Amino acid sequence: MTAPNRYGRWLGANLQQAGMSQAQLAIALGLTRAAVSAWIAGRAEPREELKERIVNILEAELPQADDRSAIALADRNLQWHHRPAHTDGGREYGNAAAFAFNADLSVLAREATQNSIDERLDHNAPVGVHYTLHELTNEHLESFLSAIQWGDLSPHLESAARAEQKVSRSLRAALNELAERQSLVLLRIDDFNASGLNGPEYENGNFAAVVRRQLDSHKQSVSRAGGSYGLGKATLWATSKYGLVLINSTLSEPHDGHTERRVIGRLDLPWHEVEETAYAGPAWFGTLETDPEREGVSRSWWATEQMVRDLHLDRSKAAPGTSFLIVGAHDASGDAETLQEMHDKLVRSLADAFWAAMVGGKAAAPLLDAHVTTLRNHEIVVSEQRVDPHQHHPALSRALRAYLDDDTVETLTAADQVAHATVPLVVTPRKGKGSGRSKGALHDCVLLVTPAADNATTANRVICMRGNRMTIAEHRPREIPLGTPPFQAVLLAGYATGREGTEVAEAEAFLRASEPPEHDKWDRTEELTSSYEKGALTRLKEFRSSIDKTVRGVVGQRDLERNRGPKVLRELLKLDNPRVSRPPIVQGAPSVHHLQGRVDDTGAWSVTVTVKAPESEDPWLLTPIAKFDVRSGGRPTVRWTDLTAVEGCRVDGENIRIEAGVRQAIFVGITDPATHPVKGRFARILVEVPKARGGAE
Amino acid sequence: MKPVVSYPTLIGEVDLDVLSVAIDGQDLHYSRVSKPERTVALHEVDRAHWESARLTLNATVPVRELDEGAWTNVSCLAVVTEKVTNARTTAVLTRGSHGTWLGSVDLCHARHVRRASLSLTVVAEIDGVGGRVIGGTEQAWFIDLTASKPVRQRDVDIVEEDFRDGPLAWLEAFKESAWIVDTSAEIPRVYLNTTAVEGLVELLNASAGSGEEKLLREMAASQIAQDAWTAMFHSAVSNLDKDEDGTPLLPGGWRDSVLRTMLPDVIPDRQLTDALYEIERQRSDGVGWSEIQTRIQYAAGRRSRLARTLTAAVRSVHQSEVRSPQ
Repeated sequence: MTAPNRYGRWLGANLQQAGMSQAQLAIALGLTRAAVSAWIAGRAEPREELKERIVNILEAELPQADDRSAIALADRNLQWHHRPAHTDGGREYGNAAAFAFNADLSVLAREATQNSIDERLDHNAPVGVHYTLHELTNEHLESFLSAIQWGDLSPHLESAARAEQKVSRSLRAALNELAERQSLVLLRIDDFNASGLNGPEYENGNFAAVVRRQLDSHKQSVSRAGGSYGLGKATLWATSKYGLVLINSTLSEPHDGHTERRVIGRLDLPWHEVEETAYAGPAWFGTLETDPEREGVSRSWWATEQMVRDLHLDRSKAAPGTSFLIVGAHDASGDAETLQEMHDKLVRSLADAFWAAMVGGKAAAPLLDAHVTTLRNHEIVVSEQRVDPHQHHPALSRALRAYLDDDTVETLTAADQVAHATVPLVVTPRKGKGSGRSKGALHDCVLLVTPAADNATTANRVICMRGNRMTIAEHRPREIPLGTPPFQAVLLAGYATGREGTEVAEAEAFLRASEPPEHDKWDRTEELTSSYEKGALTRLKEFRSSIDKTVRGVVGQRDLERNRGPKVLRELLKLDNPRVSRPPIVQGAPSVHHLQGRVDDTGAWSVTVTVKAPESEDPWLLTPIAKFDVRSGGRPTVRWTDLTAVEGCRVDGENIRIEAGVRQAIFVGITDPATHPVKGRFARILVEVPKARGGAE
Repeated sequence: MKPVVSYPTLIGEVDLDVLSVAIDGQDLHYSRVSKPERTVALHEVDRAHWESARLTLNATVPVRELDEGAWTNVSCLAVVTEKVTNARTTAVLTRGSHGTWLGSVDLCHARHVRRASLSLTVVAEIDGVGGRVIGGTEQAWFIDLTASKPVRQRDVDIVEEDFRDGPLAWLEAFKESAWIVDTSAEIPRVYLNTTAVEGLVELLNASAGSGEEKLLREMAASQIAQDAWTAMFHSAVSNLDKDEDGTPLLPGGWRDSVLRTMLPDVIPDRQLTDALYEIERQRSDGVGWSEIQTRIQYAAGRRSRLARTLTAAVRSVHQSEVRSPQ
């Protein structure tokens, strides 16, 4: 008996195929209906001779050892099951969990990837995450729509789109767009080396938490996981214009003797009516449930390789994990409209949210390895791009790697160094567990500080993280002395320190309890006040100010400033740096704007000089002077053999005359090689245009 | 304006970064190096007698342009100079990967006084001539020997001193002045006398106070600034180096800054060096020198905001008269 449920499902499917009821089969076999029911439900299995008779009656093939025919059968019995409306008349016009987030690609990347990291299977290897954007048009679009039985879905989508609610309006727009443009963007998120959607179809487990339930955070390693609200998965559905997501999972623990290609789809619509039947909204795409107690329901099935290819759900590697296919993916923030923009936004969001998880050291592999690819009708548009943390956040990544490699210093003395300091966090005891006299256990957080990279957007801020190196807050330290060279800093708390132990676990739990659903700060929360002793908020406040103090200690310098005199006077006596304070503008006098030159065969310099003149009512009479540039001291003058006006001026002996109102003049000068103190080829030449001296003006 | 050479030079950007600084073999805190300011501060209170500072450098050059161009035997030189002492030290950097060049340059304390410049020069062979400059940094780093904070901006020293009984005996000759300006030093210095006008220095240092106090403070500051700018200008235009044709050269250091800010107000219709030539000529032959004085006063007055503070003061007096007509 390899897997009892397998036979039951085969039998259920074949009964349907043959159009026979359980009672009819029981009569044909001379048994009670209860016996047949027990086989289908998997509570029992018939003897071999009975099995043969059943095969004959149903004119079907017995399930093979590799289960191919049962699978093929399941592929044929696919259907959409729409949950009937609540009998109490309640109506949901949308998924509240999905409304908790903006349907923004960066939020999706953050939430979906965080879930993948939290489900990491082999803790010595990174979780692989692959985002694939795929636009379908023409026949590719049609074959995909027929694979997901779009024809059966349409009436439901159309009906839901007719209502007045917010969800319906955007659904209406999405359906119109599909009809007009005949194109659909799929976004597939694959993870590898993650646990996959393990567990039974309806009872507690990963599968049910993701597919069947809302607000259920069923996380394997909940102690260090990022989220604790189970909201994150809603972003998958929120990113789809139709609320439609298909799932293919490779399980890490066999279910019904299978691990590969557990497939199901889920559609989140608002309440709607089709042909006078009311539906609650959600619908599932799967094989028809054979358990009589759940009649009509769609359940996940073990799909064929062909089927997952048709559904765009084929996984490139055998490693466990899950693929989510978001049908009609869009960026609701409107930042990213084209495929290229969406691709870039995904890369940027992954780098911003998970640079820390993607950093590895000599001994420690990174937690995450992320890639983004973009296709159109199976052709590559943007080839696979690995998200490199060192490219997007060089200084922060360097800081973390130095910590992992134990390559930090106490005091910064070079631009590429990373200073390591300790920030104490006092963890308030849980209610009723405090000893009364101590404030709580001490947890040493790690503060890493490094000089900022040139393009840093987070300079002079401390990135605070915990757990699987999840960024919680960007803390801006106060009282950093003005003029402190820009720095970048990372604070690692709880498990992010890489340490283990009760004190680490307690600190992790304490900090998580102090986070709101957005996980973006450590502050007052209901959980914090209800489950921890008094003083928790004060401890957090002390924690923040000791971060500030430690940062100041690392970057700040002792204030050596001598008495520099009254400020009011100092302000008036600033020797401004001319290059900073004064942009090169045309001043009150003509000046050489551009100079171009070469040495000709005779050794003479031939230079083309462009002069810019300010607005003036009088003409300018200038004497161009050529000099050879030297490193220091007086510069030798070289004489002209010829001056030729090109534009906006007239040559007048040694002088150039620019008429009133003319703003630009160009002339060519040729030097006399006999006056060159060195060979022209070895000199640098410059030309000045002072006012004619002593001449008539 | 950049001088022109007879061979192709680099268009792409050349960058120089100071990675770390050590004084006599001991590393300084990295806060002494400011990349955005491009300044290094070497002064340490308890270590005045050091001998040499070693700067570790990293330069980046436009590697593709260099590969595609006609230059051969490319090398990068770090150059430390200080105009005042005419010191010049160079160090050859070694080629790293991806267009970076690494190395270090030593700065000898004895050869520098106040602020040295550090720049990068890219040298190559072209048209069969070796050692030609083909590029360099746009903005030099400042290596400040007397500052403990890496700040590019400089200001005038302001020293509060008791002229009559203080430690500086030469100040006694000016014991009745409220302030004096000394431009003979490396950086101009304003001495405020703590004893000639009782309470003046305290008033200047205060930040709060009544409206009258504020006005007086600002007026006194403007007066001092007026004197300082005038003295600095006169000091800056004397003893200038000249080109062969008699055109003065800009002097460098603080004098350079003073001339660049004030000359456009003193002689508005000439370029800087041309204006310097004009001042030099008028000073030596005396023609027009007195007119120039007026222009200098005007330029100094603009820097010290004298007119603005006076306007505020007059308005305030007028308003208090309106309030109390007796």
